[in-house]
Amino acid sequence: MIGVLATVCIAILVVMGLALARACYADTVYDRILGVNMFGTKTVLFIAAVGFLMGRPDFLDIAIVYALINFIGMIAVLRFFEYIAPIE
Amino acid sequence: MFFLDILSGVLLLVGVFFGFTGALGLFRFPDFFTRVHAASVTESIASILILTGLMLQTQFDLNTAKLIFILLFLMITSPTASHALAKSARHGGLLSIPESKKKKENS
Amino acid sequence: MHFGKWTLFLAVFWMLLSGYFKPLMLGFGVLSVVIVLVFLRRMDKADEEPMVISIGHRMLRYVVWLFWQIVLSSVQVTRLIWSPTIKLSPSLEKISVQNTREASRVLYANSITLTPGTMSVDLEDGEITVHALQKESIDDLKSGEMERKITSIWGENK
Repeated sequence: MIGVLATVCIAILVVMGLALARACYADTVYDRILGVNMFGTKTVLFIAAVGFLMGRPDFLDIAIVYALINFIGMIAVLRFFEYIAPIE
Repeated sequence: MFFLDILSGVLLLVGVFFGFTGALGLFRFPDFFTRVHAASVTESIASILILTGLMLQTQFDLNTAKLIFILLFLMITSPTASHALAKSARHGGLLSIPESKKKKENS
Repeated sequence: MHFGKWTLFLAVFWMLLSGYFKPLMLGFGVLSVVIVLVFLRRMDKADEEPMVISIGHRMLRYVVWLFWQIVLSSVQVTRLIWSPTIKLSPSLEKISVQNTREASRVLYANSITLTPGTMSVDLEDGEITVHALQKESIDDLKSGEMERKITSIWGENK
């Protein structure tokens, strides 16, 4: 079971890396925000999975807090960018 | 217990596959609005499968309830975030593919 | 009645997050529940339509149906992503939701975004602007199966 969990953690890390790459190399601001948003959602899943891998389910509390902060941060950034034209 | 372990492993691996698919879609799809669809694959089905897989690893106590809460929370907030993203992109003047086609025909 | 439900809900929520049953922690819990209830009362005065929690067996049935729908459309989008040449027909259309109440509209727009392949871009007075990867998924939405399921949860117009 540990092997499967480790595989899952590494795979989620790869997906997070891809999302971060999208956030770094994209045409418009909105593409970058999309990448960051996906990175945040994957981080929640990653924290939860790592908690089970290490046998410390207390990590779930951190995952909940991260989900909350990620959502609020995303909405705040979008409010900021709502009326700015995209970079071509 | 052995059966539950296998089921949870399968759910976790399938969930990760969907997550990877979404990340690939971020790079392969042509414009912003279609990329949001690719990202929503990872946000809906991958979170459902991975969190359900983790739920089967618990002893069905407080941790299960916490995982269910995380799942519910993600189900409510991730569509809200992508809706806000798409809306602000439209207000910012980004055109989707059918709209920009129409604009070209008119001009 | 309305406040009783909220008190129960918040108390259960506190127990879920803390998991401790010592007097000190329970005292903190009671304190925060009372504070939230005071805020809720003030917000109800500002808001015309107070939020009422109601989760019945219809809601649960809808959630199960929605999960199945998510699985189906995810498989479809996955096939699109892995196909060697990407064939998309992205389209943008307006769907009318005149004869549903406010809460149902929000749930409807949320469900549309939750299923991969369709996304609600804008929601203003009785019309949802939907962006879809393929034309067929908009036709599916227009046939109104999802809308009918949602209106059956809370009933028709208020």
